[in-house]
Amino acid sequence: MKREIPLFITFITGVLLVIALFIPHKPFGQLQQTFNDWLIIVGGFTMILGLDSLLLHNWEKIKRKKEGWISSAFLIASFFITLFWGFGEGIFAHRSPFDPSATFLRYFYTYVFVPLQATMFSLLAFFIASAAYRAFRAKDGNSTLLLSAAALVMLGRVPEGQKVAPWIFAFVLILLAYYFFKEGSRTSGTQKTVYMVLGVLSIALIYPVFYILLHYLNYIADWIMNIPQMAAKRGIWIGISLGGIAMSLRIILGVEKTYLQ
Amino acid sequence: MGFLLPILLFLYSPPENVKAFDTPDDGGGSITVTWTLPQEDSEAIRYDIYRYTSATDSGILAGSVLRGINTFQDIGVKDGVEYRYKVAVVYPDTVLFSAFSSVAVAKAQWFNKKTKAALFILLFYGIVLFWFTEEAKKGRRTYIRKIAGLEAVEEAVGRSTELGKPILFVPGIGLISDITTIAALSILKRVAKKAAEYESRVIVPNFDPIVMVAAQETVKEGYTEAGRPDLYNEKDIFFLTSDQFGYAAGVDGMMMREKPGAIFLQGTFYAEALILAETGHSVGAIQISGTTSVTQLPFFIAATDYTLIGEEMYAASAYLSKDPLMLGTIKGEDLMKLIFIVTIIAGVILETFGIHLISNWFSIF
Repeated sequence: MKREIPLFITFITGVLLVIALFIPHKPFGQLQQTFNDWLIIVGGFTMILGLDSLLLHNWEKIKRKKEGWISSAFLIASFFITLFWGFGEGIFAHRSPFDPSATFLRYFYTYVFVPLQATMFSLLAFFIASAAYRAFRAKDGNSTLLLSAAALVMLGRVPEGQKVAPWIFAFVLILLAYYFFKEGSRTSGTQKTVYMVLGVLSIALIYPVFYILLHYLNYIADWIMNIPQMAAKRGIWIGISLGGIAMSLRIILGVEKTYLQ
Repeated sequence: MGFLLPILLFLYSPPENVKAFDTPDDGGGSITVTWTLPQEDSEAIRYDIYRYTSATDSGILAGSVLRGINTFQDIGVKDGVEYRYKVAVVYPDTVLFSAFSSVAVAKAQWFNKKTKAALFILLFYGIVLFWFTEEAKKGRRTYIRKIAGLEAVEEAVGRSTELGKPILFVPGIGLISDITTIAALSILKRVAKKAAEYESRVIVPNFDPIVMVAAQETVKEGYTEAGRPDLYNEKDIFFLTSDQFGYAAGVDGMMMREKPGAIFLQGTFYAEALILAETGHSVGAIQISGTTSVTQLPFFIAATDYTLIGEEMYAASAYLSKDPLMLGTIKGEDLMKLIFIVTIIAGVILETFGIHLISNWFSIF
């Protein structure tokens, strides 16, 4: 019975919510909102469990003087200061502990919480740079294609980028030509011919590439984003949607039970 | 000023053809009002829509819309009551009223016609899944391609154990109502079971208290299945915070202090995805990520060792359990994907020749 009752509740709830999608008439039409309200209420109560876990976890670290226990001490101190100061000020100055205009809560939110969030978010810029550095290495054909597409989109999305992109790509082609000729001079036979042809091709491409990027870079960037990028994204979306429906049906029908004890 | 009024009335015209009707495909309590815009629409400020219960009452203002808009949905009505409407166009110098609309009565519908394509697809998909499940019950073997990210679970747990380091499992910032979170929990169970076999420690910081409780039960079950319930430590699965970047900061700190040997980033992620993955990379951990957040997938692919792309996450529980019934549903998914591909190609060909049959069918979503 420990498994059967939750499975029965899941089945009934799942079927009702699927029906509610197609029948707007009462009582089905409001079912989704009703269930969402219930989820919020249950979620509110489970926050007590969360706080209990958070405080105990950090208290344990302080007690055992584990690495980083100072941070735990700060966390617990901040938690209780915010809680009691916020409640106290709310009750005595605003007659309600949940008054958002309470000075301390507003001050704390605006000058501590928001800047801390912004600090974490701004780290993303550096992490993007470091991840891009690893991902955009021209190791093979695929990664070279990725690097070229990324460079075109990045340069095509900024005004100054459009001005410098032709020069950058022309310079890359010159370097490529230099590399092919150098390699060609070291080798012989068919390999030499291939390198020499590639070198000549690189030089021949300099002007057309320069011209196209100078006049059409933003169109190329838009095309990459709207056609190949969007096609891949939509393909993944279709897969996710089908997978989601299959997973939901498995849960509703009780085939998938891993979320139960 | 009064003498200008006849001239203004001559220059401007009121909205015409005011129609009011029950809003289709809704749960009642709504009437839609439409009208033809006057020629001087560009000079108007806004349109005020007045609701009347009889031809003699003074009417009340149901709402306003800006110029250029000729439709309004009145959601302040009761089902079964007769209403009539007038639309007033407000010009800088004058206000002109339309004639009364016809009588409209709001009522709830029993079927949302806009969802008929979705219903058809769902029923068809349901039949396909049912058929494949029945075939699996009869003993038909199902081939599923290897998913590198799931094959690497054992390697990651093993490597972490060899290094004597804990395993960090990050279930993302999704709620328990997200299917992705449930998929992540099924992967967690597998990780916990393997960790128990190798006598390794699993740390699970949580964003949501309900997910925390579910994760505790999942890990406990994994340790029990491996025959090592004594190794289970509830305190290793804890609540961190429900703030997105607070959670990212907390998990990053944990990575730097605990230096885990393996990191699993499985679930719903947003902007914090790369912050977590790059920090994990910096501590030298083997990382297996998985998410259905399409915008975060490129970050995971760039920064982690293995990535479960979208649907692979949903397939994880079936793949790992090898349950024929669950594997049958994966096969059904593949068939549906094939049908979708064929439909898309057919749609492209038909659209090229100006036939909008398929696009019209799907555009009602």
